[in-house]
Amino acid sequence: MIVEAKSLHKRFHDVVAVESLDLAVERGSCYGLVGPNGAGKTTTMRMIYCLNRPTSGRLSVFGLDVLKEPRRIKARLGVVPQDNNLDPDLSTCRNLEVYARYFGIGRADAATRCHELLDFMQLRDRADSPIPALSGGMKRRLVIARALVNNPELLILDEPTTGLDPQVRHLIWDRLLDLKEQGITLMLTTHYMEEAQKLCDRVLIMDHARAVAEGSPTELIREHVSPYVLELRAGRTLNAHITSRFGHMEHRSSGQNLYFYGGSPDEFDDLLAAYSQMERLLRPSSLEDVFLKLTGRDLRL
Amino acid sequence: MNQGLLSVTSAFSRVWLRNAQVYLTLWKFNIFPALAEPILFIFVFGIGIGSYIDQMEGVPYLEFVAPGILGIAAIMQATFECTYGSYFRMRMQNTFEGIISTPVSAAEVGMAEIAWGATRGLVTSTLVLVILAFLGVFHNPSVLLLPVITLLAAFNFAAIAIIVTSRIAQMEYFHFYFAGFVLPAQFLCGTFFPISRFPEPVQVIAWIIPLTSFVDIMRSLTLARITPSLIPETVWALGSTIILTELAVRSMQRRLVE
Repeated sequence: MIVEAKSLHKRFHDVVAVESLDLAVERGSCYGLVGPNGAGKTTTMRMIYCLNRPTSGRLSVFGLDVLKEPRRIKARLGVVPQDNNLDPDLSTCRNLEVYARYFGIGRADAATRCHELLDFMQLRDRADSPIPALSGGMKRRLVIARALVNNPELLILDEPTTGLDPQVRHLIWDRLLDLKEQGITLMLTTHYMEEAQKLCDRVLIMDHARAVAEGSPTELIREHVSPYVLELRAGRTLNAHITSRFGHMEHRSSGQNLYFYGGSPDEFDDLLAAYSQMERLLRPSSLEDVFLKLTGRDLRL
Repeated sequence: MNQGLLSVTSAFSRVWLRNAQVYLTLWKFNIFPALAEPILFIFVFGIGIGSYIDQMEGVPYLEFVAPGILGIAAIMQATFECTYGSYFRMRMQNTFEGIISTPVSAAEVGMAEIAWGATRGLVTSTLVLVILAFLGVFHNPSVLLLPVITLLAAFNFAAIAIIVTSRIAQMEYFHFYFAGFVLPAQFLCGTFFPISRFPEPVQVIAWIIPLTSFVDIMRSLTLARITPSLIPETVWALGSTIILTELAVRSMQRRLVE
């Protein structure tokens, strides 16, 4: 196991950020942490890259204890933090070279690596740009390039694509899959279930500092929700009417929308015939349905 | 895990190099403004007020205040760098977080910031030293040792600044630090006149602030006056620097790795 946690706890003063967490990440896999804001994902990641110290429990990375060997662990991993922390005092290429020096990489090797990585993340034309001149998507790509400067065995990405346009997001997904193919282990947090479903072999759903469910995306869908969902936008008044007629089917209402769940598409035939005029969407269940079922629809305040 | 100074390896120099690299690209903005205050002090105190003072402790006034001006130049530069400069890198730019996600430790970041603040103090005070030499203030070869003392003084105040920087929740607390400690230290520490003028309790406070020892050591070098008081002064100058650096490095560690 590349990362292994056993009843991991983290408390900040009187706030419990992570409680009784167990997880195991296999070499070469992509492991996703999902959960509402404040669920404890970032704290878990920060403990793995040794920026937060566990309060109790055991956490090992590459078989090394995070409390005893942070330097050896950090030498072998790459970190893409939630907020870009590029060095604004240095140009694009210098950012990579100076970062390489923190790993003890020599000047010549750093320069070669810098060009390889700028090519890999399609930033070659920006080598001399100052950081403030880069767009949000370029900054994110540069942070990912920087995390690869030491050829890490494990790449940790905290919300790698939040706030980016679809082109950049797809480029990043492609690159992450390339890296996985090369045998690099990936760990990421995300709020996009599509991203988790696309990239991750296993997903851990966290809520209120605890693990709620764990498994492959397909396992999670199979275990926690019906295979098909019908979404109806009926409006609040019609909702009551529909549920009075079809309340025997598994359903959930949420404001303007109604969700019906079924084992196969034809289970919805009667319902669809009765409300043929209504705006609707019949689709296979996704990780998002699992997520909302397990963590609820309430906003986290 | 090892903590504090004992855990610091040469990896800290990689962070020092980062700061030096940034400084060199902006050197024009960095060097000249830093010289404004010391040059003003030379004119106002040395030449302006000095022309009304015949002698102080048996030497022309400018010769008396020269070590004070040097000491102030060193500690002020180090203080600015390790308060606003370090705080900016830590909180606004998140530079430190990026650095400690590599094999470089938080203690090494603290050490690098102190060493960098000290370097800037050395650069500025050495330029002031050259200006003073042109004004014909120095007569003894022992002044060649002055940069060693200004470097140590800058190191000492850089460490104090890092202790403050790593503990405050918002930048505005620096106002208290400058008004309550840095500004008084500039004038209380035997820089412009001998502290024997003060009532006894104030003298004790002045001797606790390490700048007093640094200035007095420098004065004995410029005036070539060797006295027994140099021994406790040197012990306190070195001892306080080591203690403060240890505290600063640990404090930075606590701040960055929760």
